[in-house]
Amino acid sequence: MYVTPTMKDQAKGPLRWIWPYAKPDAGRVIAAFFLFAIEKVLILAIPIITGLVVDEVIVKGEHEKLMPYLGALIAISAVRVFIRYGYQMFMERFGQNAVYRLVSDEFEKLHTLDFSYFNHTRIGDIMSRMTSDTDAIRHFLSWVTYNVGDAIVMFGSALVVMYTIDWRLALALTAVTPIIFVLARLMAKNAHPIFYAIRNSLARLNSMVEENIEGNRVVKAFVREDYETEKFDEHNDDFMDKNMDLAANNAKYIPWLDGFSFGLQLILIIFGGYLVLSGNMSLGALVTFDGFLWMIENPLRQAGWLLNDIQRFNASCIKIRRLLNVTPRVQEAEGEPEDRIKGDVEFKDVSFAFPDDPKHPVLSDINFKILAGSKVGILGETGSGKSTLVHLIARFYDPTFGEVLIDGKDAERWPLETLRSQVAIVMQDTFLFSDTIEENIAFGAQRQTGDRPDEHFIRHMAAVAGADDFIRAMPQGYNTIVGERGVGLSGGQKQRLSLARALADDPSILIMDDTTSAVDMETEAEIQTHLREMAGQKTVFTIAHRISSIKDSDLILVLDRGRIVERGTHEDLVAAHGRYWEIYRKQLGLQAGVGTFPDSEEEPNRQDGSEAAVTDGSAEGHSGSSATGAVGGSTESSTDVDGDGGRH
Amino acid sequence: MAQRNTFKEDEELEEKLNIHDLKRVVRYLGPYKALIAKILVAVITMSLCAVAVPYMMKIVIDDIIPNKDMTKLGILAGVFFCLIIVYEVCLRYRTMEIMRVGQLMLKDMRRDIFTHIQTLPFSYFDSRPHGKILIRVVNYVNTLSDTLSSGLISVISDVFTLFVTLIIMFVVNWTLALWSLILVPLLIIWVRVLQYFQRIAYQKLSNKQSNLNAYIHESIAGVKTTQTFAREKQQYKIFQEQQGSVRDHWMKAVHIQFLMWPGVQTVSTATLAFVYFLGVTHFGGVGVTTGVLIAFTGYLNNFWNPIINIGNFYNQLITASAYLERIFETMDVKPEITDRPDAKPIAPIHGKVDFNDVVFRYEEGGRNILNLVDFHVEPGQTIALVGPTGAGKTTIISLLSRFYDVSEGSVEVDGKDVRDVTLNSLRRQMGVMLQDTFVFSGTVKENIRYGKLDATDAEIVAAAKAVSAHEFIEELPQGYETFVEERGSTLSAGQRQLIAFARVMLADPRILILDEATSSIDTRTEEALQAGINKLLEGRTSFVIAHRLSTIENADKIFYIDRGQIMEQGTHAELLAQRGMYWRLYESQYAMLKVNEAELKKA
Repeated sequence: MYVTPTMKDQAKGPLRWIWPYAKPDAGRVIAAFFLFAIEKVLILAIPIITGLVVDEVIVKGEHEKLMPYLGALIAISAVRVFIRYGYQMFMERFGQNAVYRLVSDEFEKLHTLDFSYFNHTRIGDIMSRMTSDTDAIRHFLSWVTYNVGDAIVMFGSALVVMYTIDWRLALALTAVTPIIFVLARLMAKNAHPIFYAIRNSLARLNSMVEENIEGNRVVKAFVREDYETEKFDEHNDDFMDKNMDLAANNAKYIPWLDGFSFGLQLILIIFGGYLVLSGNMSLGALVTFDGFLWMIENPLRQAGWLLNDIQRFNASCIKIRRLLNVTPRVQEAEGEPEDRIKGDVEFKDVSFAFPDDPKHPVLSDINFKILAGSKVGILGETGSGKSTLVHLIARFYDPTFGEVLIDGKDAERWPLETLRSQVAIVMQDTFLFSDTIEENIAFGAQRQTGDRPDEHFIRHMAAVAGADDFIRAMPQGYNTIVGERGVGLSGGQKQRLSLARALADDPSILIMDDTTSAVDMETEAEIQTHLREMAGQKTVFTIAHRISSIKDSDLILVLDRGRIVERGTHEDLVAAHGRYWEIYRKQLGLQAGVGTFPDSEEEPNRQDGSEAAVTDGSAEGHSGSSATGAVGGSTESSTDVDGDGGRH
Repeated sequence: MAQRNTFKEDEELEEKLNIHDLKRVVRYLGPYKALIAKILVAVITMSLCAVAVPYMMKIVIDDIIPNKDMTKLGILAGVFFCLIIVYEVCLRYRTMEIMRVGQLMLKDMRRDIFTHIQTLPFSYFDSRPHGKILIRVVNYVNTLSDTLSSGLISVISDVFTLFVTLIIMFVVNWTLALWSLILVPLLIIWVRVLQYFQRIAYQKLSNKQSNLNAYIHESIAGVKTTQTFAREKQQYKIFQEQQGSVRDHWMKAVHIQFLMWPGVQTVSTATLAFVYFLGVTHFGGVGVTTGVLIAFTGYLNNFWNPIINIGNFYNQLITASAYLERIFETMDVKPEITDRPDAKPIAPIHGKVDFNDVVFRYEEGGRNILNLVDFHVEPGQTIALVGPTGAGKTTIISLLSRFYDVSEGSVEVDGKDVRDVTLNSLRRQMGVMLQDTFVFSGTVKENIRYGKLDATDAEIVAAAKAVSAHEFIEELPQGYETFVEERGSTLSAGQRQLIAFARVMLADPRILILDEATSSIDTRTEEALQAGINKLLEGRTSFVIAHRLSTIENADKIFYIDRGQIMEQGTHAELLAQRGMYWRLYESQYAMLKVNEAELKKA
């Protein structure tokens, strides 16, 4: 981070807040300031020279002075414009650099935030904070600053000149400025909430479009283009309305601001004319006043617009600061990254509830301990807390109660980088980057070495994950670029790629969260064989719905509503006749198609020809198994479909 | 799979400033002609008021003060006051209405580009980072706002002022007026040269901005993955490179853009000096009095101010054109799949489906993804598609909903070629449950309702019950009203699949397509769901892709697909009897779960 936000910062005004980001470029601002001052002096020189041309050359006829004066005029003007160009460039660079630091900090901050933040923040909203909001800040730093400076210098120097010429007229003119000042303040005050509303509306629009793009397959599948357009229109209209609110605020105040500035001319003509008529001022002085009037008029006219820009800047600052000030719930432990985690994992009385829903614990009283190199299988219903449990290992969340020990040390005391580089999770939502397959597989492995692991290694990992065949079948093989999130690949292909990516990272603890659900069973069996061969000392957690994926585990945990209801090896659990056994039997039943299986005696490979009968028998034997009833029911209705749907 | 676009890739640049782009922009102003005309009247009134001010000053100095005419001063003050009122009323109108025209135009443009991307095929979304699409709809359009509203209108008033001033200059002294135009060609050359470089610079900049946006988008979307692999530092480095590149190109672009003003300013000063020179030396047949010379230099200022403004506008236009191009380029992407001009809505579908020797490839001359697929399905049949991943199963169902068009052969529904009916009527009758379940941000109820927009709450609950989703939904903090975030990040994958299922259930399609619909659902739920699925399959033609054979054994026909061809087809029993590929697949699955008889006996 370029700037670490502290609690003290929160009270700071936007200018003092932004300053640390701009500070390293203070030199540029100072240089720009000097150039700015020189330019202002040169600007004053130009009317003086033209005055000399008129007075001395034209009126007095000193023609020999013409060429030097004109030469000086062109030269000074040329120098002046390039000085201005110079400080404009300094300020542009200044603004760019400050924003560069700011956005970098946003990016870095974002990567320290935990899953609960991302679960509740829309991508489109974060994007606005990193693009349009920062642009408002750049505009302020690079442009508004020196224009405000311009206005102040112009206004101040014109005032000084005017007071030296005739204080009465000057006083009459400046009498209007407090009114303008008050109006401008009012306008700015009203504009602030509007700017805030505009940027929020933009963020919503952004999010809506973003989601539409992401969900384009669903939109098309349900032919909801019109519905989406309606939704879009709502946001589009709202964004326009918010902008029109701004226009209304401008229309309310700007004409008054402008009218009072214009009124300066009127005062000049009436009061100035009166002073001249009454012999209290010379005609020449009136003409001079007229010549300088634009120098106070212009800044006053611009005041409204500049204040608007400042308010836009303020509104954007708030949003960015809010992002930078989020305190991640998962805090980095002190200490240097360590080399290697062995892979012992222990959960001690772990409970967890999401912070926004503390009443519904997702996990309760989880206790288990396994040694490095063990295989753990986790089974449970949809929403029973399986994914959350493994997320605690890599500290994507911290437990509400209890502790997770890795190699006997509280996970919260491991440096995050060590922990996460040694724990690889293959997530249920596979995310691939829009890059080549090769780069995607090498994603994690690059961290250690800095450069890409060799091709052979990547291929090997892909082969272990059962992905090599289909990758090679693609026209560009490993150089095929996959779409964002891996769109265009089938679910099974994505899963295998993300498994290969995790394996290439060479973790001590490998977590597979329903990684092979979309992979056909044959390939899955292959993958498991490969994994067994290479896993060695790795601790492997497997979440699955298919018993086949976990039955060889050293420990199987069955979760229900966040509690471990059964634990043990496959043999233990089958013997226990509990929930696991029930699921196992069902899967056998479903797998074998209890009702429709053809004559089993004709199947020579099946040593267990009596399987269907065994299932039936045990269903009878097992009391109160309502789920078994459902198997029967579904089988019946399938047979119905078979009967009247297909055959006529 | 076609070569894709990533955040690293720049898009192609076009050399010339495209005049058609500008014409297209002007077309967006079309509907607001009347309003623009009114604004112009207001703007011109304002310029006239502004022009009157120096004239009044002249009256004071030349007339009132020498004659010591207090009453005339009073009258003049009254007139001036009225002028200010008129001016400010016009200003108020202009402030409001310019914003309105500008916003309306941007709104139309944004809507056009949004509705257009709705018509684009999957491949468009699959082949480029989504951040690049997003930046076009939102950010690029916003950058046009000032240029196209206030910029354009003040330029019109500037042109007006310029002409008035020119006429006055020629009336005052036409030779001097002509001479004072002598440096204008120099200015034009300066502007043209700058324009050339500025345009290139801005095109490059917009490219880099697009890349950066793509990278930011992808980084946010993939932040969990980055954290999982603890790769934050590398991502940060790439980000800084991208951002640095935008900064560099920005600096290059403004270095060129900001050169415009010094050029105009220098030429204007040089012209002023030249006019003095002519006036004083009487060179080139210029004979002027001192008074005329001084007045003339005053007009020169009025002449150059609008030119500077016009120059600035031109500058903005060049900048905007870099973004406009990208916007129009997106609008010009032709949707690959469109209704034929004579397409008619398809009648309520009975469910007969025919694939007649279908060949499909993504691009001409590419690899055949499907090779002579030929099958015929009677209404109400359930068809299961099995086979290794990448065999072409998903492609077959995509052709059925006409997400792609066949390269050869034809796909017919109820005997009608799908290319001859309207897309809308076809897809509305098909229910596709995709592999990627997508949940929109909104309540659970709204998400289910997506399947049938006018569904009652009771229908929604019924659909949820039918797919066994009701139970878990009720347990959510606010039940059906629970707000789920983008992509349903607060739900488990299985729960998302159930919601997506309920959505299809509610849609009550004539042809049902289930693409790996139950992969993340646990056995108990799946079992309960099975009854719902069976009900759903009843009486409608269905296509089911699944790896779990339990889901497919009961199908009327099973197609074993490999390498883009149907290798085997028949019922479960027939295929097992054939002892072919399906049989092998079945056996291998069975082997995985081989019952340890001893185990069960023990039990």
